[in-house]
Amino acid sequence: MKRLFYVLVALVALLPANATGARKIRVVATIPDLADMARHVGGDLVQVTSLATGVEDIHAVQMKPSFAVLLNRADVVLLLGLEAEHAFLPALLEAARNPKILRDAPGYIDCSVYVTPIEAPTRIDRSLGDQHPMGNPHINLDPVLGKAMVRAIADGLSRNFPDDAATFHKNAAAYNATLDEAIARWRREAAPLKGKKLVSYHPDMVYFAERFGMEPFGTIEIRPGVDPTPGHIAELKQRMLKEHVEVVVRERHYPAGLAETIARETGAKLVELPAMTGGVPEAKDYISFIDYNVRTMVRAVTGG
Amino acid sequence: MRPRLSTRHGTALLLALLLAAAPGATRTEAQGAGEEQVRKELDLLKEQLRRVEQQMKQQEELIRRLSGEKPGGPAPAPSAPPPSAAAPPPAPAVVDEEALKLKILEELQPQLAAANKTFPAQFNPAIGFIVDTVLSFTSRKDQGNFEFRSGELGISANVDPFVRAYAIINGTNAGGFDVEEAAIVTTSLPYNLTVKGGRFFADFGRLSKFHDHDLPFVNRPGVLDTYIGGESQSDGIEVNWLAPLDQYLTLTAGVYNKVGASNTRVDNTVPRGLEEFTYLARATTFFSLTDAQSIDLGVSNAYTPRVRVNDGGSRNLAGIDLTYRYTPLAAAAYRGLVWGNEFLLNSERQQTVPASDTGPALFRYRDAFGMYSYLEARLTRRYYPGVLFEWVEDLAHPGRVTNAYSPYFTVWASEFQRLRLQYTHLDAPRQRPEDQFFLQWTIIMGSHVHSFRDR
Repeated sequence: MKRLFYVLVALVALLPANATGARKIRVVATIPDLADMARHVGGDLVQVTSLATGVEDIHAVQMKPSFAVLLNRADVVLLLGLEAEHAFLPALLEAARNPKILRDAPGYIDCSVYVTPIEAPTRIDRSLGDQHPMGNPHINLDPVLGKAMVRAIADGLSRNFPDDAATFHKNAAAYNATLDEAIARWRREAAPLKGKKLVSYHPDMVYFAERFGMEPFGTIEIRPGVDPTPGHIAELKQRMLKEHVEVVVRERHYPAGLAETIARETGAKLVELPAMTGGVPEAKDYISFIDYNVRTMVRAVTGG
Repeated sequence: MRPRLSTRHGTALLLALLLAAAPGATRTEAQGAGEEQVRKELDLLKEQLRRVEQQMKQQEELIRRLSGEKPGGPAPAPSAPPPSAAAPPPAPAVVDEEALKLKILEELQPQLAAANKTFPAQFNPAIGFIVDTVLSFTSRKDQGNFEFRSGELGISANVDPFVRAYAIINGTNAGGFDVEEAAIVTTSLPYNLTVKGGRFFADFGRLSKFHDHDLPFVNRPGVLDTYIGGESQSDGIEVNWLAPLDQYLTLTAGVYNKVGASNTRVDNTVPRGLEEFTYLARATTFFSLTDAQSIDLGVSNAYTPRVRVNDGGSRNLAGIDLTYRYTPLAAAAYRGLVWGNEFLLNSERQQTVPASDTGPALFRYRDAFGMYSYLEARLTRRYYPGVLFEWVEDLAHPGRVTNAYSPYFTVWASEFQRLRLQYTHLDAPRQRPEDQFFLQWTIIMGSHVHSFRDR
């Protein structure tokens, strides 16, 4: 009898701690960028958790069973979309068995719906690497597209909780106004980046480059998701020297050695950037994440 | 549009010049025509000029409206008809809008084309095909072999809002095709329940649910091959429940004809009594030690009350699987360590003395224990070295132990192509130790899903 009592106590201890507390809308975001936006849009109405911490490669976030528990209880899931989370989210959603957030259910909020993606392949073929059939998914690196993501979050939350729609839209408008101010500042600060060519490890930087007038020149990967060969690196270095490429970006979740070598041997500046909010301690929210990337890039280009 | 405005202005200027010239003309031709007639013509010209000026003002207003300007108060509603009865020429804003639409269409066209390519097959299931081939060499007979291990066709799709289905059809060296799995899985049951039915890999242990080509090494560990019968293929039904707790905990209960693709104790094709089915229970949980370190723990038990081939004896197979993972978050794609272990205990009540005139049949339990343990490092996105250790008691003679160790090296050319080199030193009872070498080459074509079970 005593043993049964201890078992019961243990089970009660495992139950959700806030089961009797005020019920907030449970939002699970795949990446911290969306989590930060959701906190601004949802305000006090939401309780937000992010699966990734921000230091990960979005294509290689681990499928932890604890994530299935979070998703099982979620009211909505926020995803970057464009198949960015294909390596972990579909399987986690299946393991979570929460019909509210299955693909195409109202709680499945794809934050790319108002974005026109670039680099949508005209031919789907594995010889072209780990393609994203709907286009390049790294939209979170462009703050203007960030505004579209905020709008998608507000609309998605409103779809699920129409009683609070006015609050979500008001909060979204206020946050987007803040983003507008920051964008104007980033445009001014990023003026020296115009026309500068960059090589990155993976095609993460195309939206950032497009926004601030840089020219993506190539990638260290031979194809998206495929590690480089010696021949590819040799050819890349030759082309970089010929075309005077000034910047090599290492997204911080990729190995350092090769990017350093390429930068050193071509005389380009090595710039180490996070690809998500939380990727470096300074990037504690979405605005400081873009801040960090713009300023780091400008510093590298201007030699400051 | 600018030339059109100039024409209007030119017309007005011409009329103004005519007006200015008109009084002089009347004075010089005063003798030929009456002054009254001239005045009438002048009034007519003035009226024409007024109309032209009014028309010009209306058109300028229209241009301003279409350009988005709002001089002196709000613009009229867009649906209001134009003031002029005649159809107005396209204003600049309209032309710009058309140009913008064309530009957007040009941008979107490649995406639309890519999407439309697959349109006729939209409802077809996702299809993938795996080729797994192995070159092997053994020291026992000094012989080698190119083994076409499998050509595996995998198809999967949602069936309706309530279930999805998948099938794995496998062709092997032995010839012919076999339906390895063909299962229906519910997707929307309440209370965190999932039901699976058909032919599938029963939820016993960890690596028994992996297809051969998905294993971290070339060959399935001996303990899984002999105790389970290879993959845990089963025809039956299984219910899985995710406990509504903060701690990840799943429970599985299943009933099957048998568990194990090559388990020969039970005939899969004949009907049987309830005591001849195999009943399975499994619990799994997960502990996150740090952000980068975790442990998966599972406990499984498969019980068959009556095994016909054992003359009615029962069989119980119990297992514990424990997997430690180190995966640094910022380098998950190219750094990491996995330590995987499974321990199995097989207990069979086997007849030792058949029934006779002198007495009843005698049974006794035979317990046999087996395990494997492997350690695999992820050095880069391409290179995965590892070592596998096996220790397995013979099921019929538990004192006889086979042990093996297998260092291996896996090279991932890409996510869809893999080469693996493995050496195995095998020490089996009553046999000379054997050295084996393997070179495995595996590719995946088409659809490939990252399954939660295969983690």
